[in-house]
Amino acid sequence: MPKAFLIDTTRCTACRGCQVACKEWKNLPAVPTKQTGTHQNPPDLNPFNLKLVRFSEHMVDNKVAWYFFPDQCRHCLEAPCKQASSVEGAIIQDAATGAVIYTEKTAQEDFDVIRGACPYDIPRQNPQTKQIVKCDMCIDRVKANLLPMCVKTCAMGAMNFGERADMLKLAAERLAVVKKTAPKARLLNPDDVAVIFLVADEPKKYHEFAVAEGPGAMTRKQVLAGAFAPFRRLARAMQG
Amino acid sequence: MQDSGQPAVEAQRILDEAARYADQTPALESLFAAFGPVLAERARLRAEAPGWRGELPTVDAERFSQGVFVLADSGFQDVSPELPAAAVRLLPVMERAFPALAEELAALGRALAEGGLEPELLTRAAFSEAPVSVPGVSRDTLRFAASELVKPFIERQARDIIGLVTELPWRRGMCPVCGGAPNFSLLRKVRDESEFIQAHGGQRLMHCSVCSSQWRCKRVSCPACGNENPEELFNLRVEGRPFERADICRACKTYVLCLDTVEFVDIPDADVAALAMLPLDLLVRKEGYAPLAGHPWSPGI
Ligand code: SF4
Ligand code: SF4
Repeated sequence: MPKAFLIDTTRCTACRGCQVACKEWKNLPAVPTKQTGTHQNPPDLNPFNLKLVRFSEHMVDNKVAWYFFPDQCRHCLEAPCKQASSVEGAIIQDAATGAVIYTEKTAQEDFDVIRGACPYDIPRQNPQTKQIVKCDMCIDRVKANLLPMCVKTCAMGAMNFGERADMLKLAAERLAVVKKTAPKARLLNPDDVAVIFLVADEPKKYHEFAVAEGPGAMTRKQVLAGAFAPFRRLARAMQG
Repeated sequence: MQDSGQPAVEAQRILDEAARYADQTPALESLFAAFGPVLAERARLRAEAPGWRGELPTVDAERFSQGVFVLADSGFQDVSPELPAAAVRLLPVMERAFPALAEELAALGRALAEGGLEPELLTRAAFSEAPVSVPGVSRDTLRFAASELVKPFIERQARDIIGLVTELPWRRGMCPVCGGAPNFSLLRKVRDESEFIQAHGGQRLMHCSVCSSQWRCKRVSCPACGNENPEELFNLRVEGRPFERADICRACKTYVLCLDTVEFVDIPDADVAALAMLPLDLLVRKEGYAPLAGHPWSPGI
């Protein structure tokens, strides 16, 4: 049965427990970080940080409000990165769970194409091995009936995991509650992804690539299929 | 237990879980191969069973709080009329699962089909209320088959009843529905809708050996004698199985199996999970402790 996450950002306190737990479970090395003027640390996803709690501050009613966004691969139901793949067996989707998995064959892919295809800007490349990496849903754990590390670690109930149908139900319930105080609250691409975010405000305020949104004329599929990639790459280039 | 209520889904879930456990513990593969299909067929029968017929019993909250379980006066409704049809489905599965008993099980099936055995007697055999004898069937096999046949119908009735008391306090070691003893327990994560930190330890639930109802129980206490002295309560585990333990009481020398599901994606079927804990069962018995209630595969039960 397909699995899904509900990431309820309204319950996240940015403790970074999930980020650290992920790194530890995957045995990923430390990375040098730089001070970017925010509390986000490291500044972006990288080959050794597959999960990143993004921070951004906004003025709301004359007060500084912090927005937290525990970013990670969305395990898209029809993964654009997989559609863009040209190497057999490099990007696979586990039938039982729906997890989108990158194998060592991703080293033969064109990294820019794969990263450009992802509407959420998730894939990163290991400079030594050239492998492309991202969250794998802790597939080793899930196959053993254990929760992904990030979900196991979260003490606030922000990270939830289970059957897709159950998560959609929980998402709808939480959305109804949050909407009472935050009318702009919404779920991000719930029909397209297995990692569903609940946000209380404009998605862009959380993170530039929080949500996949296409111009009205295009079908979502066309957008997701990479028609958007050049813009995405441009946006990244401008970010530096 | 999470339950879809759909017979095929329920059965498949059990087979999948049995396969996963068998993968993890190759030593138990043949046990899972035998019991998996039996538990799956039982789940199918349970999902299709009629449940409690007519008006639900009334619960006297006062008496209940004093420890009088719901069915203390009436017991379960008679399931005998269901047994002949259930036998046609379950006995052949059991025959394949336990080739050494196949002949006896077939004889039992014939006796039921041909009127040589009244279904009411089979029900009584399940509850060991009366000595029943069927030619060509040993007493143990009769009792085993009878309780396997009766169980899905009892479980289905209990599901209708437990809802009557889920909001009432009950912190006893016996089942609030039928008074049965637990043969399994689990720790379960609770999603707390308050904005406070989620409890990581989880709730402790007992699982009834008779009707499979589950009820909350104090975390540090012996369900058999009520002992709460932490010095006398301890647990044993088997190496490499971090989520499984036996909760043991030194005072009354009993134990109950406990599965910590706090980190689990799905809570497994209680019987499948308990079957995987057989090596632990054996270890704890060797240490001189007795289970509060057994399973069909338990040694000496
Ligand atoms: S699911 Fe596992 S790999 Fe993915 S972000 Fe969470 S902990 Fe890391
Ligand atoms: S989020 Fe990006 S990397 Fe993850 S499956 Fe979707 S397209 Fe692929």
